[in-house]
Amino acid sequence: MNQLMRSGRSIGLLVMLALLATLAGALSRPPAARSQGADVLLNVLATGAKKLNIVIPNFTVVAGSDTGGLARSMPQVTGRDLTFSALFSAVTDVPPIAANDPAALKAAFANFASAGAHVGLQGLMSVRGDRTEVEMRLYDLTSPEFRMISSKKIELPSTQARRLAHKIADEVVLQFTGEAGIADTKIAYVGVVAGNKELHMMDYDGAGATRVTSNNSINLSPVWSPDSRSLAFTSYMRGYPYLYRMFPFENRPVQVLAGFLGINTSPAFSPDGRSVAMTLSRDGNPEVYVLNLASGAFRRLTTYSGIDTEPTWSPTGREIAFVSERAGTAAQIFVMDAEGANVRRLTQSGFNTQPRWSPKGDAIVYTSRQGNFDLWAISPDGSNLRRLTAGPGNNEGASWAPNGRHLVFQSNRLGRYQLFTMLADGSEQQPLTRGPGESTSGAWSPRLP
Amino acid sequence: MAHRGSALLAVPVLVLSLFLVGCPKRPATTAASAPPPTGSPAPAAAAPSTAPSMAPTMAAPATAPSTTPPMPSEFQATDNLKDIHFDFDKYDIRGGDAKILDANAAWLKSNDNLVLIEGHCDERGTNEYNLALGERRAKSTMNYLVAQGVQAARITIISYGKERPVCSEHSEDCWAKNRRAHFLVKAR
Repeated sequence: MNQLMRSGRSIGLLVMLALLATLAGALSRPPAARSQGADVLLNVLATGAKKLNIVIPNFTVVAGSDTGGLARSMPQVTGRDLTFSALFSAVTDVPPIAANDPAALKAAFANFASAGAHVGLQGLMSVRGDRTEVEMRLYDLTSPEFRMISSKKIELPSTQARRLAHKIADEVVLQFTGEAGIADTKIAYVGVVAGNKELHMMDYDGAGATRVTSNNSINLSPVWSPDSRSLAFTSYMRGYPYLYRMFPFENRPVQVLAGFLGINTSPAFSPDGRSVAMTLSRDGNPEVYVLNLASGAFRRLTTYSGIDTEPTWSPTGREIAFVSERAGTAAQIFVMDAEGANVRRLTQSGFNTQPRWSPKGDAIVYTSRQGNFDLWAISPDGSNLRRLTAGPGNNEGASWAPNGRHLVFQSNRLGRYQLFTMLADGSEQQPLTRGPGESTSGAWSPRLP
Repeated sequence: MAHRGSALLAVPVLVLSLFLVGCPKRPATTAASAPPPTGSPAPAAAAPSTAPSMAPTMAAPATAPSTTPPMPSEFQATDNLKDIHFDFDKYDIRGGDAKILDANAAWLKSNDNLVLIEGHCDERGTNEYNLALGERRAKSTMNYLVAQGVQAARITIISYGKERPVCSEHSEDCWAKNRRAHFLVKAR
């Protein structure tokens, strides 16, 4: 108990202590017949708890020497990932549990359980040459025998220790929800460098930020391909706004996707990765087109003589939401079939742009200007209109994480535009980038292969 | 109504990625007709690869590439063509601005050079929508000039959305200044 009291740094500890009374009754119940992770989660949530309390002691080094202190730093990354998921309250910076010592394991777990922990994660770390392996063992601390839920080995070069920690977190989320977490993802964005807007990329938690374009011009609107190998974006690198595709992880030249007269903007990959929707004004005014990547054929979807732009695909690939001023007043969001038929209006009032269809299909987030910019969401059938942000300042340009639960967006609430994250219901808004320069146009990658 | 005149296709349609060997006989290769990059390109921003011969039904480009427009950097500012401005979220030409365009048209009909019309927006739109709005403003301006007898082939338009403001204050005065069409010229 003393060890947990000293660990102190995580909100999780306070949460755990607060839940002691609530959980006392639950802990005395017999374990579920199939104590898989999902059952544990359901059982815990059924008691009224909002999150799973998980303790991640420092990893136990079982082979090689940990010259980089990874046994302590990795669990902290994993713990932050799990806390960010909003499914867990994680406690880390706890001394490691000895390996191959069932008595020590049981004693540690009994300690954690009595403090209100539901889950224990032990990592057995091996350093071999320049590679690190962690065997992650998940334990259900709500079961009297502290039953092991799962065990998995993950191995990466030691230089990718953060990524290894992220993959551990994603596996934990997978075990408890049936869907992998989002810690092993990137966020592409636009950062201002010496007065120029250049594309950048960072881990989803802000680490490892790097610049991916250096063409000293205006680079805008990065979007990821579904295989996360490429970014489509608009750039003035050749003077005029063309659409390009670049491969940040491979040594491949930048391609031109569309270089027509007028604007070539607003790229959006189809969910199957075979097409890119975009805005072209080559026929006289901005319209939505779809480019088939294999054939190179462009198909025009809209015909309205004014502005049609900003396409976003439904996750089935059967529909596209987009922005149009065809209603006769301000920009509104419409939905059409992927062939351009059956156009219907989705939003009614305000000035609404930047629609993004959730990868779960159940919501379209968009930016609404009613004075300032704020983020709203609506169901694809037009119901359940809800406001996600209410200032301060402007809040715009949302992009979905692949789990359909988290969003990245830009806000100038703290002065200059920075990237923030939040949950799809607008809760847990927190800054992601801190400057000094502006960061905008966040684009959340798919889960990395 | 608006005949675009100048090259309908600045850069051919699509370049596919997976194969480095191109289609040497195909006229519309990007490398052949792309305007040269401005500034110092990053290593990643090299000329795109040419279209692969493996694409089964590679569509021909929408039109054959003819002359590409001059780079925006080749145009110069001029006092002879005044800016016009637009109402918030609008791209129609207002009465007073029409008179400015009449004067601009007259000058252009007496001075045979190329003209680049830039379309700009204030900060209160989102980035992508403003690229489209700036495009519409430049296009409306072009249409007006063509209707006054300026040859469309002499005109190139470019939208900068809200990316190139002339001022940055968060005020009505500054916003009004940014909602503009701006003119640059180049000798033939």
